[in-house]
Amino acid sequence: MIQLKRRAELEVMAEAARVNREAMDAVAAAVAPGVTTAELNALAEDAIVSRGGRPAFKGYRGASATPFPGTLCTSINEVVVHGIPDDRALVEGDIVSVDIGTFYRGFAADLARTFAVGRVSEEARRLIAVTEASLAAGIAAAQAGNRVGDVSAAIQDVVESEGFWIVREFVGHGIGRAFHEDPEVPNVGRAGTGPVLRPGLVLAIEPMVTTRSTRVIVLDDGWTAPTADGSLAAHVEHTVAVTEDGPWVLTAAPDRVPAPAAAPRR
Amino acid sequence: MARRRFTGPPKPRRDEETTQDTIRTEGVVLEARPNTTFLVQLDAGPEILAHVGGKMRRHYIRILPGDRVVIEISTYDPEKGRIVYRK
Repeated sequence: MIQLKRRAELEVMAEAARVNREAMDAVAAAVAPGVTTAELNALAEDAIVSRGGRPAFKGYRGASATPFPGTLCTSINEVVVHGIPDDRALVEGDIVSVDIGTFYRGFAADLARTFAVGRVSEEARRLIAVTEASLAAGIAAAQAGNRVGDVSAAIQDVVESEGFWIVREFVGHGIGRAFHEDPEVPNVGRAGTGPVLRPGLVLAIEPMVTTRSTRVIVLDDGWTAPTADGSLAAHVEHTVAVTEDGPWVLTAAPDRVPAPAAAPRR
Repeated sequence: MARRRFTGPPKPRRDEETTQDTIRTEGVVLEARPNTTFLVQLDAGPEILAHVGGKMRRHYIRILPGDRVVIEISTYDPEKGRIVYRK
């Protein structure tokens, strides 16, 4: 069931999103060759807990049999999502997707970015840019009166016109008092289909993009989800509220709201 | 954290051996009845009406009076059964 939020609830969700973003900022400042993903995890956890929040992923089960052990997901190179932080050090040329979730005053926020570690290949750089551009296009389509399919189609259009591929095994989702709420927000779809976006709906929009056409598998740890053929993958995400005045990107700093104008042109 | 796409409830397995709510017993076929049903004398005593299971039909396993068969009986209707194996 889709849960719409009142204005006051959206204000609290914006607070939760701010805590989450500050944890991401701490991680962003630390990403460098030689840093382990466990160290990034500790930074994020400190940032969330010191602000009175609770890491949303830690202990989360979802569809997996084993609870997720970390505060953030660190998905390196061919891992699309849900990589488990450990003692692996980042290496120059890696791309690492960091996904952080926070509960704060009863509400959840969800945010992901993909970072280049040092200098990366031209293809990796373009993959990240296109993924971010597709998220911006998806956010721009999150207008009251539109449908979920409009968001999906906007993302798909950007990614496929740039020659990359969209992961279909995982989807974005509604978010609020629960981490995963209805509706599902696929990154492929037809405009004009799906549930109508009403003011007060909050979505985690999260394109997952790969360099080649491939399936995504889940390793025996129950979480780590790499591409089956080793293709590079990027994943970015914002928590976005639908309002009468247009999309409100809760997890973005006010001066860094992704705009579709940021889409790269060939 | 991305959500695993919901692809519908898991499909029930159409395998007689894993069907729930049934009791397995053995018996001897007494008589062929219309519509591929058979009267079976259970080792435990009672005579019940049984049809031939889908997997046996698919493989054209023929049942004749006198055959020993394994039967699954519904716990909801002990008068009827399904033949799942011919010995």
